[in-house]
Amino acid sequence: MRRNYGVTLIASFWVFIFLIPLLGAFYTSLRTDNAILSGPFVWEFDSTFSHYKNAMGAAGYDFANFFKNSIIISLGTVALTVFISFPASYAIVRLGFGGPWLLRLALALRITPAIFFVIPFYKLFTAYNLIDRPLALILANSFINMTLALLVFSGAINELPLEIEEAAAVDGASIWTTLRRIVLPLLGPGMAAVGVLTFLFSWSDYLFAVVLTSSEATPVTVGAANFVTSYGVRWGDISAAVCLSVLPPLVFATAAQKYLVKGLSSGAVKG
Amino acid sequence: MPLLIMLAMLLIWPVYLGVKTSFTHDVLSEFTTYGAGLENYKNLINQPNFWLSLRFTMIYAIIATILEVILGFALALLFDRVFPGKRVLFSLMLVPIMIAPSLMAVMYRLILNENIGIIPGFLQRIGIEFSIFEQQNVFGSLIALDVLEFTAFTFLLSYSALQNMPSEIYEAAAIDGANARQVLTRVILPMLRPALAIIFLLRILDSIRTFDSVYILTGGGPGTSTQTVGIYIYKTAFIFGDFGLAASASVVLVLLLAPFMPSIIKQFNLNQGGGK
Repeated sequence: MRRNYGVTLIASFWVFIFLIPLLGAFYTSLRTDNAILSGPFVWEFDSTFSHYKNAMGAAGYDFANFFKNSIIISLGTVALTVFISFPASYAIVRLGFGGPWLLRLALALRITPAIFFVIPFYKLFTAYNLIDRPLALILANSFINMTLALLVFSGAINELPLEIEEAAAVDGASIWTTLRRIVLPLLGPGMAAVGVLTFLFSWSDYLFAVVLTSSEATPVTVGAANFVTSYGVRWGDISAAVCLSVLPPLVFATAAQKYLVKGLSSGAVKG
Repeated sequence: MPLLIMLAMLLIWPVYLGVKTSFTHDVLSEFTTYGAGLENYKNLINQPNFWLSLRFTMIYAIIATILEVILGFALALLFDRVFPGKRVLFSLMLVPIMIAPSLMAVMYRLILNENIGIIPGFLQRIGIEFSIFEQQNVFGSLIALDVLEFTAFTFLLSYSALQNMPSEIYEAAAIDGANARQVLTRVILPMLRPALAIIFLLRILDSIRTFDSVYILTGGGPGTSTQTVGIYIYKTAFIFGDFGLAASASVVLVLLLAPFMPSIIKQFNLNQGGGK
């Protein structure tokens, strides 16, 4: 068979183009301050990784705290989203509650720009004194991702053979037992797709974070953007902070790439 | 059942609150809020900034989406064959999807920085002066950022669509003596037209609500020349403190997008009914 190295070359070129921002940030994060300030092509690397140490707290930034917030918010959002949308999708699909119109509503909300919800959420969370708490972002992100989760779960439950659940019912299992023991284990792929997409979208959220937090609950997206303005000249530290911020979703989503692809191509619309 | 009613309430409540605010006189510096009927909408019509931001958003979204769909589809065609290193390169192609748009914007700003950035440095070497803050460069830079970030998405969806094409069709075309170009224009493109239309629609709806990347890169400036509707709403509410006006702007934005919703909903129902 003829080997298509030409295609590899063209594909590599485009991959390189798309990764220039990431590679550029990584490159800057490894260089000494001196080299960074003397121009982009001075080859002088920092063997002590001081930018990474600075970003993680050595220079008094709050970055470690931002990082912790992002993790709490993303994992919290995944947990809450799955906890609510999984039983709800089952009820919609199998028990016939709400029916297709609820899914249509979910889809319509999914297409509604997130900016529309910013003002109601701000009002709501101000009223309940939740501003600048991670819980506010968990609730807001869960709301946005709930609709996606409902759609993915409903699709996955639709594809399960009904006979298994009927057999469980005949054996005297309650709806909750069926859900927990039969349906849940079979929905592994759907669960993984919802998990990885929800994690990705809530980690990426910037709009809600910038409105609903001020300092305590700030996640990395807002933290990193603020870095640029507040520590204007410390490019190395900023680059290191950004590279670290990109890492968790990158590792997680690459590991679950199969489910990411499945979830995204089954009609997921980004919020 | 009660759970679902609660869920429906939960989903609708913020919508209700948003619409209600748009009919309320609600300014941060004044302590009382009161119902104001159509006041906000009347004010909105007289805000040239809103209409300018709407126009900018549309131009931005259309250009970026066209470029992304064409490039994404072309790359999907490229990847639709066997070649060495395909698995790794495919994974790397998807990396931008996994990077938060705001973080991408920070990195992009870094490489475009006049003093330390790689791109201006490189351009200087070949004798071109470049600054993203110059008026004529801003728009192109924003579009390029959007393309870098979201082509991965159009690529992935185009690739999935290509993979779903039955291989018999290629064989039949080959038997009929079609060359590669004819296969593309007479077979692949007509068959994928619905899929490409949906990808286009999804992307354009997404780019209309662009906020993060433009906000971080230019803050809507210079002046208000790159203000998207999202930035207009954000600034009106959280910088100028007029929640009523901002809410009415977001209602108008949703109403403008509403005509597209049925086709998306139809598409999704088809997917569900017709299997995979």
